[in-house]
Amino acid sequence: MSNDTNVKFRLNNSELWGGLIGLALGGFVVWSGLKLKLGTINDPGSGFVLFYTGILMCLFAASIIYGALTEGGPTLGSRWEDARWGKPLLVIVCLIAFSFALNPLGFLLSAIPLMLLLLRVVDPVRWTLAIPIAVLVPLGMWWVLKRLLLIQLPSGLFEIG
Amino acid sequence: MDTLINVAHGFGVALQPVNLVYCFIGVFIGTLVGVLPGIGPISAMSLLLPITLSGTPESGIIMMAGIYYGSMYGGSTTSILVNIPGEAASVVTCIDGHQMARQGRAGPALGISAFGSFIAGTFALVALMLVAPKLASVAIAFGPAEYFSLMVLGLVVLTFLTQGSMAKALLMACIGVVLGVVGLDSITAQPRLTFGRVELIDGIGLVPVVMGLFGVAEVLLNTEQAIKRDVINAKITNLLPSKEDWKASAGPMARGTILGFFLGILPGGGAVISSFASYALEKRLSKTPERFGKGAIEGVAGPEAANNAAAGGAFIPLMTLGIPPNVVMALLLGAFVIHGLQPGPLMITQNPGLFWGIVASMYIGNLMLLVLNLPMIGMWVQLLKLPYNILFPLIILFTIIGVYCSSNNVFDVYVMIAFGIIGYFMRKLGYEPAPLVLAFVLGPMLENNLRKSLILSQGDLMTFVERPISAACLAFAVVLLIGPLLPALRKKREMVALDEGV
Repeated sequence: MSNDTNVKFRLNNSELWGGLIGLALGGFVVWSGLKLKLGTINDPGSGFVLFYTGILMCLFAASIIYGALTEGGPTLGSRWEDARWGKPLLVIVCLIAFSFALNPLGFLLSAIPLMLLLLRVVDPVRWTLAIPIAVLVPLGMWWVLKRLLLIQLPSGLFEIG
Repeated sequence: MDTLINVAHGFGVALQPVNLVYCFIGVFIGTLVGVLPGIGPISAMSLLLPITLSGTPESGIIMMAGIYYGSMYGGSTTSILVNIPGEAASVVTCIDGHQMARQGRAGPALGISAFGSFIAGTFALVALMLVAPKLASVAIAFGPAEYFSLMVLGLVVLTFLTQGSMAKALLMACIGVVLGVVGLDSITAQPRLTFGRVELIDGIGLVPVVMGLFGVAEVLLNTEQAIKRDVINAKITNLLPSKEDWKASAGPMARGTILGFFLGILPGGGAVISSFASYALEKRLSKTPERFGKGAIEGVAGPEAANNAAAGGAFIPLMTLGIPPNVVMALLLGAFVIHGLQPGPLMITQNPGLFWGIVASMYIGNLMLLVLNLPMIGMWVQLLKLPYNILFPLIILFTIIGVYCSSNNVFDVYVMIAFGIIGYFMRKLGYEPAPLVLAFVLGPMLENNLRKSLILSQGDLMTFVERPISAACLAFAVVLLIGPLLPALRKKREMVALDEGV
């Protein structure tokens, strides 16, 4: 790793950020454990395991932060070096849009556009292939599930499917 | 004699037409996911976990087990012909297997890999049959302290073997425990970390977590790179290895089988580490180590035998102790639990049909795999040509449907998408998901056994060190925890570190 991508005391150190997130999560788990009551060592309460696991999380996160500050670590940008970062981002956007559309539109009306987007946006498949796959695969799956396995997929406000 | 009667009973179960069909579906899908890069046994098993609900427990578990050992077979095809491992345990096979293919010896490479896998798989099953009942009778005496310590050891071994920083792997394991205890406390019935959501009262589902972390996250990572495949196009002939090939491979196969079986039994170990260990062993024992990496058949035979033997060995801790040694076995445990069954020391005596049926089905599955992998090699080669830009939208659709079908709940689809995105960023920042998933499965058992031991011992922590098995497990765990601080052990850990912890 080059010197430009390995930083010690700068904020742009991915190890530091990973450790800080871990520390925050650990702190939250410790707090949740305390809130749920620890009980006693003879009769541990609901928060007992959470509390001690939270403490361990804080310790491990602190060790990651210590390592990041003393040994340095790769920058956030270098984690995506030579990667087509826009492609996974597009897939994530498609999935989030799908999750919002699934309940109101139902499975078929949300899965067909999702498939079409995934087939066309990331590494475009030609339209003559993308459209049949995007339509026929969700339809086929829906038919198999509904008719053969008797599983009802969400039909949405329009009750399609 | 008892063993023979039990095996006969097992074959009676496994040879029922419905179980044969499930076994075939399992090994076929296993080979398929092993062949296709970008989808592994974990994603396939989590995808098919809901389907196990539709049949008997035997059928469902026979199918799931078939996917696991089937993927070990299929993974080698991709490694040899494309130089891309179909799944993590076949990484080593790429080194010499693809070189053999480039030299026009793809047939013997595929042949020895299939025969090696078959022989090792069969040996592992015989050993499983002989070892499991004995170990189960010992395990009946295990109390909560032993179970707690064994689970701690399993988690520590897995974090030790996970690639990258051990602190990160341990942090992941802790997060897994926390996620595992979300929902109602089994002792006090108090809701924990549910944030007022009714859907979380029963806890977070295993299927959406695994599908998100392994299925969706893997797709996101794969879309970053344009996957180029160097598929061997020449016609594949001479699948039956020659006399010289057999002579060169017999030793590596035997050593790989024994090594793989014992590494498979260890908590946290498994197919990946055994294939690497076998390759290293063969290279060290060889009189001509310089041939390794240039198409040595020993470099294919040993690791392939090892990863299949490990796949068989991994069933032992699950079947006898109820403790999954790796993520794949954790999913199999999920399949048992779905059917209201608890694998453990009593399962062999209380459910002999199930245990011996699964073992017998694995014999039959191994035979099916030999048929699937050799004569049908042309079909698998054609599949390798399926472009990833068509494959990944299908994987995403199947994961969505699989998750929804496991619970009939849209909330689980949201959970899967969330874990997919989290899993992607985790992997980018060097946090492996395997310790998280194993801890997620073990978390509730770990907590129950810890609390039970403390209640039974009236808060005396010495209970964990006064009992010999518990003390030995904890001592070993401590050695592994402080080990990476010593330069020599750190170097060893880096050599054997796993990609996916399976």
